[in-house]
Amino acid sequence: MIKEFIQGLSITFKHLLPGHSTTVQYPKVKLQPSDRFRGLHRLVPSHDRAKCVACYLCPTVCPAKCITVESAENEKGEKYPRVYQIDLLRCIFCGYCVEACPVEAIEMTGNYELANYHRDDFVFDKQRLLNTK
Amino acid sequence: MVNLTIDGTQVTVPKSFTIYQAAEQIGIKIPVLCYAKKLLPFGACRVCLVEVEQMKGRLIPSCTTPVTEGMVVTTSSDEILKVRKTVLEFLLVNHVIECPVCDKGGECELQDLTYELEVVTNRFVGEKFDHPTDESNPFIERNMNRCVLCGRCVRVCDEIVSYGSYSFVERGFETKIATAFDRGLDCEFCGQCVSMCPVGALLPRPFKFKARPWQLKHVDSVCGYCGNGCTVTFGVKDNQVQTIRFNDKNGVNDGNLCIRGRFGYSYVNSDQRLTRPLVRKNGELVEADWEEALTAVAEGMNRGKGTGIISGARLSNEEFLLLKEVAAAAGTTNLDHSGGECYKGLTEGVQQVLGLSASTGTFPQVEDADVILSIRSDFYETHPVFGMVVNQAVKRAGAKLLVVSDKKGKFTKLPNAETLLGKPGTEVNILNAICAVLLESGKAVTEGVAGLDELKQSLTDYAPARVAEQTGVSVEAIEAAAEQLAAAEKGAILLGYGLSYTANSRELGIAAANLALLSGLADQDEAGLYVCGEKANSQGAIDLGILPGESGLGVQAMLDAAARGSLGALYIVGEDPLTSFPDGAKVEAALKGAEFVVVQDLFLSPTAQAADVVLPAASFAEKDGTFTNAERRIQRLRAGIKSPGEALTDFAIFASLLEKLGAAASAATPGETFAGLGRLNDAYAGIDLNAIGPQGVVWGGEHLQPKVRNLVPVSGREPLTTRYQLITGSALYHSGTTTTHAKGPLEAVPEPYVELSREDAAELQLAEGDQLRIKGNGAEIRLKAKIGARLPKGVLFAPNHFPGTGLNRLYKGEAAVVVELNK
Ligand code: SF4
Ligand code: SF4
Ligand code: SF4
Ligand code: SF4
Ligand code: SF4
Ligand code: FES
Repeated sequence: MIKEFIQGLSITFKHLLPGHSTTVQYPKVKLQPSDRFRGLHRLVPSHDRAKCVACYLCPTVCPAKCITVESAENEKGEKYPRVYQIDLLRCIFCGYCVEACPVEAIEMTGNYELANYHRDDFVFDKQRLLNTK
Repeated sequence: MVNLTIDGTQVTVPKSFTIYQAAEQIGIKIPVLCYAKKLLPFGACRVCLVEVEQMKGRLIPSCTTPVTEGMVVTTSSDEILKVRKTVLEFLLVNHVIECPVCDKGGECELQDLTYELEVVTNRFVGEKFDHPTDESNPFIERNMNRCVLCGRCVRVCDEIVSYGSYSFVERGFETKIATAFDRGLDCEFCGQCVSMCPVGALLPRPFKFKARPWQLKHVDSVCGYCGNGCTVTFGVKDNQVQTIRFNDKNGVNDGNLCIRGRFGYSYVNSDQRLTRPLVRKNGELVEADWEEALTAVAEGMNRGKGTGIISGARLSNEEFLLLKEVAAAAGTTNLDHSGGECYKGLTEGVQQVLGLSASTGTFPQVEDADVILSIRSDFYETHPVFGMVVNQAVKRAGAKLLVVSDKKGKFTKLPNAETLLGKPGTEVNILNAICAVLLESGKAVTEGVAGLDELKQSLTDYAPARVAEQTGVSVEAIEAAAEQLAAAEKGAILLGYGLSYTANSRELGIAAANLALLSGLADQDEAGLYVCGEKANSQGAIDLGILPGESGLGVQAMLDAAARGSLGALYIVGEDPLTSFPDGAKVEAALKGAEFVVVQDLFLSPTAQAADVVLPAASFAEKDGTFTNAERRIQRLRAGIKSPGEALTDFAIFASLLEKLGAAASAATPGETFAGLGRLNDAYAGIDLNAIGPQGVVWGGEHLQPKVRNLVPVSGREPLTTRYQLITGSALYHSGTTTTHAKGPLEAVPEPYVELSREDAAELQLAEGDQLRIKGNGAEIRLKAKIGARLPKGVLFAPNHFPGTGLNRLYKGEAAVVVELNK
């Protein structure tokens, strides 16, 4: 019994040795999230505009009701989102919008550093979402 | 009755049923695409295939196959589903699937079926349609790349609207729906085809990309334009009426609407709406608050010399009741409505003869009438959806249509229609002649009818030969009409009246009612005589007596008195008399002569500009209440949106004004007020507001029997013999003056015009669109010429909707105005 006890503890001690710590020294060190991570949204551009065709599926599916879309007709007669806005304070990062989009116009990036000072700064409009990397 | 078994359930249905209808009756839903309830079966899509045991081995379309005794039907099996799926795959081969940007997405029947039958891949590939989109008109976008060739648009436009815009062209894969010479759609833009299209091939342009169907809040209300009383369902989002939704469940119109109801809603969202009360200070109308404005109104009405109240006919019944209370509180019996100029006369005439002041039957009863006589009005212009009912009677039930009018119209063109085209103002003469023939031939119903001898005496002046000479209608036509009416088993006489034409109203009412009695139409169990007021609640105004009280003045007398300076205040609610009343000069003099003028309206109309106080009112889309339509149907209005700015409903304004006048409204809300309507008219007593369901309540029941049977002698008039005469009236596309603030109707008919015949145009060397100077009654106006085949030589027609034309300088209420024309 004592043997198992030592065995277990040795693992614990091994981790105490330098170079074996799992704590990441954020913000000096930043982790690369996985591809499937659901962080800040990004609107995919296509040519000179957002790829989004303002179909209203994402605001419809969004359980937090934080997406605002207003469709309009552009000079070419195409449907486009005159307004596209996500209120991140209400977003629950479920990714349903990404799943719902029929034209793959919205994605979620690995960006998780979303803290800010003002409520207004959490409202991401079309331009900000297009600028997301 | 026929017995059959569907999916193991026994069902008994009438012989005329199809398998689809029989299944529907027991709640079995067979998918359909080309079938539509109100259209004749067509069988184009094959989505509704079912299996019938007796015809083993092949699948048959349930929507076109009539039931037969002992049929055993299976509506769903693996094989049936497989075939249905294949049908859909075929449809999707060349369909351009762009649901994300297609406004139909979310309520598309093709999308729904595809989802339901789980068509996730297509085994067939083919070229996609590549037709250009038809955007040649401002109302309807036609994207034939999404068309599934169900033919619903073709059929509705022919069977119900009778315009016939579309047909199938080409063959096989090339088949498409096209308009004449493929030039793009140019029609009367009723939008029936849009409401029928199962996919996104026909879409309302004003609603393009505005919202998804599921985002709209649906509010069922009643169209605020004409007396037809169609149900309109607002699609509301962001406190705006975004579109009018298809609804064939409510009301009497079966989902049919005219351009005004479907595309004329935009005025409620107009930024020209009045949003604050205005009070005249130092000669200028300036914004004020309600307190100040209403105090001014109450003071103005109390200044002595008396008040005259003129109301429009688009107020709700509840508002009418409160208006009467306002009149009482102001101590005046000078109360009248705009229909007092026209529709009132009609109802008074009918009252004298039949003891009724409303239509005897309902609209649906006309659907299977066998003889229909339409007097003066082409209902396609005044009450378009009733016009569609007549069309169905003619086309489906084979009714004979007789038209007595001074101009041709759409009715004239219907199959089986016979037009008795008389000189303007001679309709009474023609009706009298028909009565004379009936009496002469012994075919008249005279039992229990009073006044026969006097009538016979007076009709000696209206022998067919003489009337034929006077009016230009042939003796044979008059005799044939009399014969047909006498033979009718279910006949209908239709008479529509509005402000745009006020002459002869009482006379015509009497003549038509006489004819209804003599031909036996008044004693049928259904249909009979239809008197149709112009506006949404013309009938309500008559029923509730928005008419001069004891020793009170009517509209004309009020205007005269005001012009003489003997009326202190004029309170004008929901009407623009300066534009719409006959004899504009008189109205102008009255507005000048009255010491104090209040106008309550949606817009700063020419009349409002002359007022001392202007009160901003709410549109029909912003209020609760009831309207009574031309067939006595009481239907509920429901507020879909909030009023802009500080505008209030007429109800709320009257209630506050009552307080200012030291009285109190008898009830606090329109809902509570409804019960009080019984005090004004027995027919409304005992109707429970909550019992007014989707189909409304027809007061007095589906059919009214005459209360009295008094034939009344009535004289017609000698026609004018001058070279040119002008008549006024209503154009389809517009209704009253309100539509001149609505985008849709304005896009169809943007400006005033005068219509004349080709012959006259040639003689005057006039081309379409040329300016024509029209002189008459000491005034001269200029209007754009429109040349057509509708009018007989020498007759001109001008619609009366547009402010600023000065048309009512010429037109002073006569049947036809003597005019001189110059280029
Ligand atoms: S689902 Fe896609 S295309 Fe539709 S509105 Fe959202 S981002 Fe735009
Ligand atoms: S018509 Fe229906 S299936 Fe076709 S693109 Fe539009 S919504 Fe989609
Ligand atoms: S809008 Fe009316 S008239 Fe025009 S094509 Fe459609 S159904 Fe026919
Ligand atoms: S346009 Fe619409 S209604 Fe007409 S045939 Fe095509 S799918 Fe049917
Ligand atoms: S204007 Fe008259 S006919 Fe047209 S939709 Fe309205 S109520 Fe119906
Ligand atoms: S619905 Fe029966 S064939 Fe189209």
